[in-house]
Amino acid sequence: MNPRPWLLALAACLPLPAQGVAYLEAHYRKQEVRIPMRDGVLLFTAIYTPREPGPFPVLLNRTPYGIGPYGEDAFPEQLGPSEELARDGFIFVYQDVRGKMMSEGAFREMTPLLDGRGVDEATDAWDTIEWILKQVPGHNGRVGAWGISYPGFYAACALVGAHPALKAVSPQAPISDLFAGDDDHHNGALFLAQTFWFDGVYAMPRPQPTSLEPEPPAFTRFHPDGYQFFLDLGPLPHADARFFHGQVQVWTDEMAHGADDAYWQARDLRPHLKDIRPAVLTVGGWFDPEDLFGTLQVHQRAALRDVLVMGPWDHGGWSEGDGDRLGDARFGSATAAYYRAQVEAPFFRHHLKGAPDPGLPKALVFETGTNQWRRFSAWPPPGVQPTPLYLQEGGGLGFQAPRAASGEDAFVGDPAHPVPYTAGTEAQVSSAFMVEDQRFAARRPDVLVYQTPVLTAAVTVAGPVQARLQVSTRGTDADWVVKLIDVLPGEAGDPEPAGGGNLGGTLGGCQRLVRAEVMRGKFRRSLETPEPFAPGQPTPVTFTLNDICHTFRPGHRIMVQIQSSWFPLVDRNPQVFMDIYHARDQDFRRAEHRVYRNAALPSCIILPVLNTTKNLHGKNMVK
Amino acid sequence: MKAWIGLKRMGGAAAVILAGNLLLAQGAAYVRSHYDKQEAMVPMRDGTRLFTAIYTPRDHGRPYPFLLERTPYGVGPYGPDQVKDDLGPCALFGQEGFIFVYQDVRGKRMSEGTFQDMTPALPHTGDPAQVDESTDTFDTVAWLLRHVPNHNGRAGQWGVSYPGFYAAAALIDAHPAMKAVSPQGPIVDWFMGDDFHRNGALWLPHLFNYIAEYGLSRPHPAGEEPPPFHHGTRDGYAFFLDLGPLANANARYFKGAIPFWNDVMAHGTYDAYWQVRNLRPHLRDVRPAVLTVGGWFDAENLFGTLQTYQALAEQSPGTDQRLVMGPWDHGGWSYLPGASLGAVTFGGSPSEFFQTRMEFPFFMHYLKDAPDPGLPRAYVFETGANRWLPMDAWPPRTLRRTDLFFETRARLGFTRPAKDGFDAYPSDPARPVPYYNGITIGMAREYMAADQRFAGRRPDVLSYRTEPLKADLTLAGPIQADLWVSTSGTDSDWVVKVIDGYPEDLAEADGAAPMAGYQQLVRGEAMRGKFRESFEHPEPFVPGRPTEVKFTLNDVCHTFLKGHRLVVQVQSSWFPLMDRNPQVFTDIYQAREADFHAAEEHLYHSPGLPSHLVLPVLP
Repeated sequence: MNPRPWLLALAACLPLPAQGVAYLEAHYRKQEVRIPMRDGVLLFTAIYTPREPGPFPVLLNRTPYGIGPYGEDAFPEQLGPSEELARDGFIFVYQDVRGKMMSEGAFREMTPLLDGRGVDEATDAWDTIEWILKQVPGHNGRVGAWGISYPGFYAACALVGAHPALKAVSPQAPISDLFAGDDDHHNGALFLAQTFWFDGVYAMPRPQPTSLEPEPPAFTRFHPDGYQFFLDLGPLPHADARFFHGQVQVWTDEMAHGADDAYWQARDLRPHLKDIRPAVLTVGGWFDPEDLFGTLQVHQRAALRDVLVMGPWDHGGWSEGDGDRLGDARFGSATAAYYRAQVEAPFFRHHLKGAPDPGLPKALVFETGTNQWRRFSAWPPPGVQPTPLYLQEGGGLGFQAPRAASGEDAFVGDPAHPVPYTAGTEAQVSSAFMVEDQRFAARRPDVLVYQTPVLTAAVTVAGPVQARLQVSTRGTDADWVVKLIDVLPGEAGDPEPAGGGNLGGTLGGCQRLVRAEVMRGKFRRSLETPEPFAPGQPTPVTFTLNDICHTFRPGHRIMVQIQSSWFPLVDRNPQVFMDIYHARDQDFRRAEHRVYRNAALPSCIILPVLNTTKNLHGKNMVK
Repeated sequence: MKAWIGLKRMGGAAAVILAGNLLLAQGAAYVRSHYDKQEAMVPMRDGTRLFTAIYTPRDHGRPYPFLLERTPYGVGPYGPDQVKDDLGPCALFGQEGFIFVYQDVRGKRMSEGTFQDMTPALPHTGDPAQVDESTDTFDTVAWLLRHVPNHNGRAGQWGVSYPGFYAAAALIDAHPAMKAVSPQGPIVDWFMGDDFHRNGALWLPHLFNYIAEYGLSRPHPAGEEPPPFHHGTRDGYAFFLDLGPLANANARYFKGAIPFWNDVMAHGTYDAYWQVRNLRPHLRDVRPAVLTVGGWFDAENLFGTLQTYQALAEQSPGTDQRLVMGPWDHGGWSYLPGASLGAVTFGGSPSEFFQTRMEFPFFMHYLKDAPDPGLPRAYVFETGANRWLPMDAWPPRTLRRTDLFFETRARLGFTRPAKDGFDAYPSDPARPVPYYNGITIGMAREYMAADQRFAGRRPDVLSYRTEPLKADLTLAGPIQADLWVSTSGTDSDWVVKVIDGYPEDLAEADGAAPMAGYQQLVRGEAMRGKFRESFEHPEPFVPGRPTEVKFTLNDVCHTFLKGHRLVVQVQSSWFPLMDRNPQVFTDIYQAREADFHAAEEHLYHSPGLPSHLVLPVLP
């Protein structure tokens, strides 16, 4: 939910000469209003109306990050989700949500939805639409909404008991559940670096309405090296003691709710997404480190009315730039520009302006590895075969279940030297880690590495990946991180499809991260009711890695890495069963962990394999 | 040495781009218009003829001194019509006018005879069968004086890397006409510290990659470069881990066809083979003036540079000799501006300062009677503070040897620990500690000043640090490591890295890499544990028994600025820079896969077992 400085970034790279402040001033009028909600709270709203005669549909964006520039004479560099739509002519409405920036009221993190039993983001959206339809002339009676990240959550909220005029909604990288999988936590493990930085900037108290953007406090830019900063921070109670001083309510709440209790359950968007009437375009990036989970979860709940678009993007990467690369990965075409022109704009034009139906499939997803757009009638695609890939002795990975009566691999998790999530030294999480070469990790003694032989046929995986581990630990809690990796061929090179660039040189042998996930061990059976491990006792740990659509090409290998830390992306587990948010220095212990790979205790990942060719049955895929 | 060759090949273009006018490479057209080239087979006292290219100034209006380079890497381009792009150690020399002489050493390229690596120096009895590099140089100078007209009766010699060894060898029983010699990055001892070993531990990719090309036998004199070796990957860590035990190198790649590899594998201790290849004992009664030059970040022959100077200081006290140490990698002083290595910058143009203020005036004075430039005994670049320090001795007379103790909780302090304690770490030959946070097939020269944070994050690296320093701390000279350790195995390697920890709130300089929090390697060194008492007679560790391991880290001249921390890391592998230790006492060069075992290592910091460094503190 990191807000990206969308407008500034666009100003900096000047995407199209047609856009920009001068163009918008010439073509739009701006007014600022305070719209009353049903409880009397006034929400600050900026309305940009085309100077041409209408009628025009309304396109609404509700945000906690400010709708500046403030002032009726001040125009942004861009209006709407893309320049295409601003040129078309819409009535663009931007609103500060309750309790943020210039709006009245109190902000609540992931405002709990009350399903008609009180004021929430759904009613605020409803009340806003109602007011606009009554007070703003020149509309055509149709309203759309969109938003990226936290605004994606607000867009999704507008779907709940939606106003009848709301015809089309695009939640983009929406947050759905901050404990299960978005932003703050994945499977109950704290995403420390993102959460700390976000809370330190955007959750600082706002005593009264203001048009001033929050200033990052000194401590959020103090240390250039996130790994060292968070290691020096030590146990999480030090964050309040040293930096937040109880002033950051969101952090205080996070530290008070170390399990999926009523606090988090009330903030889970998913149960409320039913009986959806507007058309929905859910958009996300395969390499979004923040809200990939929310995107996929919102799609699942809204599937009947939804078109899902998944591209090779980081958080919001579809909204600007070409989308042809991330880190040292190349995607062969301008995927983001394609999406904006061929998917997003036609979607809103069709539903809000009566333009022809663009005929979008139920799922338009980019297949990484081969770098091509795929159109599916459902997501995951019909016909995928859940295919177990077993950990084998000697670091092997194969489609045959192990037969030996014994077999296990041990490693030591040391909270004083956690496994880094990146080889770099950045202060903040850069989304390029989602495609980063994992050789730096494979070289460590505290990372288990398993790989297939060289593939002789392509393996296309489409959908969620499940990790089914049999493990034990000498401690009473541990984190389990599973990384699915595409190992590129060596120096001989790999003719990249669709002009994606040369993979020779230092990318030969690259261990490209495809997907990874963490399970905080104590939550293995329930996020609500944690339970300890019995030291040394083999225990199943099963969890889901977010969906992928990736082809492991012939000549590549499939690799799995397993580790018990992923720092400082994820906070450290003391490896002693306890409320980690109240742990002290001395609670953190080194522990030996085991992963079993024998007939009685097999460990595997289950790949949803899309059988695009007939001979893709198990052992035939590898030499 | 290989890296030097690579640099040499691209050097012309780089120099043209970077240099000021004065120091521009002349270019082939200039050389052609100002020099005549001849190629000669110069006979040695044993009848062997060495291929020699001689560039003589076309302006015959005055006599010129000879300036000689002897090399195993070829004196090309070959052919009397083909000329080098630039002549001499730097561009000033070609413009000034010298008789430049380049010679293929015995057994290499177009010269006759048999090549020997690090040709053993022999007693010079006058027996014409007793030849070494010193006699070959003597014979070459004598021949030049007789056969090349228009000389002034004086000769000088220089050389970088292997040619630096040949320059140093020229000092021994030198021809009386040899007046000035500059060994630059010279090799002196390939077992103790240069190129291929550090304290008996093998420098694996450096040797392997070099020898895979330059170690091939040469059936007959030939002008061509050796054929390249293909690893099939750029990932040296993966390649050398996959190689497994060193015996696999011959089985898979070399097939016994590379004599020097076979020699290295056959001589896993400091035996007679290596002892006769140690140049140091022979550096006595040296008559020519000497300018020894090296780089603080020379990954190859930093040891040889310092030891050449030291051997002369101790064994040949009457010699008119000087030392220059700059902030350079191997041969970096030959290229302008020589002001950075990786992310670390040194300001100005140290190479230009060296070339114009030291190297050129040195030869001009001794070979052409130009005024004495008054060079100090040691001119050393102080990294960290980034300035040149003139010194009347090296190491400086005023330094104070100061103990820095390892302490509990990852700290370093200047007082002996009061309580018993140790730190444990695992060492697994299957997952050795990388020496470099990147993908490279060779020895990345940048590793010598690279950020060590990637290593400090590992569970198999101990990392200790001081509090931020309240005042600048300058180290000038060698650093002693005095460790008390134990291992659960019977052999182990011990690597000590001295690191400059930059402040975390350091402001970014315009255009420079962000350096806040950077942990710059200042000096690292390895000791193969079994050699801790003797390099000739290795001995095992008793598992679990605390044992003292002492060794010397090559000299530094570095200031840890106020606000920085001094960081020290200890680890038991440094891969693939250094080959893996099986952690079982054995002849590692004959080890099998099954011999490699994980071990637990302890570093003690107790009153009775006070692991510490001895720092050369400059007050």
